[in-house]
Amino acid sequence: MIRFFERYEAETCQFFDEVISKEGTPRPHYDKMLHRFGQFSVDDIKARREIVNIFFRNQGITFTVYGEEEGVERLFPFDLIPGVVPAHEWQTIEKGLTQRITALNAFLHDIYHGQKILKDKIIPAELILGSQHFRREFIGVNPPLGIYIHVTGSDIIRDGQGNYMVLEDNLRTPSGVSYMLQNRQAMKRAFPVLFDKYKIRPIENYPQELLRTLQEISPVSRREPNVVLLTPGIYNSAYFEHSFLARQMGIELTEGKDLVVNNNKVYTRTTRGLEQVDVIYRRVDDAYLDPLVFRPDSKLGVAGLVNAYRKGNVTLANAIGCGVADDKVIYSFVPQIIKYYLGEDPILENVPTWLASNPADLKYILANLGSLVVKAANESGGYGMLIGPESTIEQQENFAEMIVANPRNYIAQPTISLSRHPSFFNDTELFGCHIDLRPYVLYGKTVTIVPGGLTRVALKRGSLVVNSSQGGGSKDTWVVDE
Amino acid sequence: MLSRVAESLFWMSRYFERAENTARFLDVNFNLLLDLNKITHVENPSYWIALILVTSDKDRFNSIYDEYSARTVTDYLVFNKSNPNSITSCIGLARENARSIIESISSEMWEQVNNLYHYLQNVTPQFVQNDPYGFYKEIKNASHLFQGITDNTFSHNEGWDFIQIAKYLERADNIARLIDVKYHMLLSEAKSQPELVAGSEDIIQWMAVLKSCSALEAFRKVYLSKIDPDNILRFLILDRTFPRSINFSVCAAEDALWRISGSSRHRYVNNADRLIGKLEAELSYTAIEDIFTTGLHNYLADLEQRLVKVGEQVHLTYFAYHSPEIESTDIEEALPFTGIAGGRANWSQAQQHQQQQ
Repeated sequence: MIRFFERYEAETCQFFDEVISKEGTPRPHYDKMLHRFGQFSVDDIKARREIVNIFFRNQGITFTVYGEEEGVERLFPFDLIPGVVPAHEWQTIEKGLTQRITALNAFLHDIYHGQKILKDKIIPAELILGSQHFRREFIGVNPPLGIYIHVTGSDIIRDGQGNYMVLEDNLRTPSGVSYMLQNRQAMKRAFPVLFDKYKIRPIENYPQELLRTLQEISPVSRREPNVVLLTPGIYNSAYFEHSFLARQMGIELTEGKDLVVNNNKVYTRTTRGLEQVDVIYRRVDDAYLDPLVFRPDSKLGVAGLVNAYRKGNVTLANAIGCGVADDKVIYSFVPQIIKYYLGEDPILENVPTWLASNPADLKYILANLGSLVVKAANESGGYGMLIGPESTIEQQENFAEMIVANPRNYIAQPTISLSRHPSFFNDTELFGCHIDLRPYVLYGKTVTIVPGGLTRVALKRGSLVVNSSQGGGSKDTWVVDE
Repeated sequence: MLSRVAESLFWMSRYFERAENTARFLDVNFNLLLDLNKITHVENPSYWIALILVTSDKDRFNSIYDEYSARTVTDYLVFNKSNPNSITSCIGLARENARSIIESISSEMWEQVNNLYHYLQNVTPQFVQNDPYGFYKEIKNASHLFQGITDNTFSHNEGWDFIQIAKYLERADNIARLIDVKYHMLLSEAKSQPELVAGSEDIIQWMAVLKSCSALEAFRKVYLSKIDPDNILRFLILDRTFPRSINFSVCAAEDALWRISGSSRHRYVNNADRLIGKLEAELSYTAIEDIFTTGLHNYLADLEQRLVKVGEQVHLTYFAYHSPEIESTDIEEALPFTGIAGGRANWSQAQQHQQQQ
């Protein structure tokens, strides 16, 4: 076996290992990579780690951890061994996500227009109308091209057999794409020879593709629509990403106080007066967008923005009210949604899900709290979660109470044995870490997915949570042509 | 250019310059007391109180400390976080402003602000006490480096002009205050030791003021060794070629303002341009005798007020843009001109911590 891998325990009887097959041999698309890493000594790895760290530090690629002392900025943990997706597997992901996003968009359009799917009783109406992300004010509003979800980042996992499944659809303000881009830059610096050995599909055009998508949804046919990015501000954990994307696209990075609405048009305040804005790529949650409509105490939004949007004078990406479709309860209906709008079978499967709002499921959930993963329907970032096998009796009892009190708000899924990928520990040895993959889907005139994504990895040994807010890290992701 | 970006550039520059000038105030005081150690001791409170008087901070200072000494004044002006004008606060605020426009400035500029910030995090009062000269030199050099980096890595367009306006308005204000330090010293001595006011110690004090503006050598080239108060004041207030004179600074701020608005000597387009033009014209036609007629302290106090007014107009013209046809939809009026642009970020901090998908 090759250096670093000789002591690596893939535990393939328990987990699907991305690199080592059940027979204990490397999968073909990892062959060259293992060979290359086999040529490295521990010092070589440490030297490359240093190159990567310097790159991230100089770029200011840090994130802020909430709940700790204010202003604590950390380097995003990064693992040196990239995840490799062979072209034929990528094709499945690409087709599956395109299908899924197209169907979810059709669903949103329907929910905010005729609500046929509710009338046909495919989904119980109370689940939609009672969702905290359903915005009845937007019924009948027509976003340009009929598109609601311009930028999405679905989380994809692999089960014990290696099947790709969708774990979550993030249809509101998915983050992490800057890490996808920067991880690639860092890897190019640290492992140039390895790049030579693979035909890796490029992802560097993501910012141009994003800008093109945003320009396509402009309400005016001016030659050069004015597109801005709206950030909550420098204390947001994804602020680096906001400024990075604005710089890459060459558009203004604005905060709520930079924008002003007059006569239902949105303008930026500039040193030369007001300039009209056509498209806002907003990274601010619905609830904070406009204090006149949503949370009146919001300091991050723009008063009057929603009316300007309803009048069609400005396009918001993503549209308001998308959260109704990425709610974890609605998630369980996505296979039916695909069938209903497209008449197709889903290409990518869902993770089996029990709904606490359904009495039979509720009974099952309460009886099996110790083995299930329970999630709050409206939380993200790994918050509000109970991981059955890792929880104490007390935590389980706590959750049981919360579930009974508000069943609509909870779902449960089996503890999936997420696939594992060898990752470095102290740059000296490898151990298997759980991973997931978040590709980014752009939806303008067409659906575009840059070949790659953010591979998130649970670097805490044995942990299942890959979110950066919970100590997860990331890897570069290579889609390779064979 | 977004008003917010312009405003952050302005305050980033202004705080950096303020930190440098505070370092100069303190540096000159140490030097002065060492020069004068035959007749007074380093802890002489009248020398330290002057530094607090010119920063108009007497009340806040007195609420924290109960004496004026090298230790307390240094602590207040270098380290104290509740003093927004301490060197540590200024660099923190300069960095905070830079961070909020990190996509607009050059990465070299950011690195320089960031480096100085981290350097200051590790400096202890003991360190400053052991080597005050070395410490203040470090701050001054860091500021010069920042200005040099800015000039050479940042496009000389509108944004650069805002940086210049801020730098020179702050500098003019600080030179006026620095001269005022000397005035306060004179005043306290005239009361206690009248014989000092006219003696050689007086000249030593004036030389210290020149040194703190890095102006001693430049002064000698103009006036040779004729160091008398008239010439020194003429040089620091009215000289048009020395970059740390008030007149030079006002001219430079005026140039930058005019480049932004397109104003010229015979035509102004906004109040900021009008006020700075008026100030510049008056300085150009002022003789040192006019200043003495008004009284030095009164003249400087008036000058400081007028510089504040220019700053207010810059704020109203460019940062707090509000066209009359727009109904007031602002939740919170634009910031008052009290100078804590960096602090403004705090009011929405909690909300910025939204959860991310």
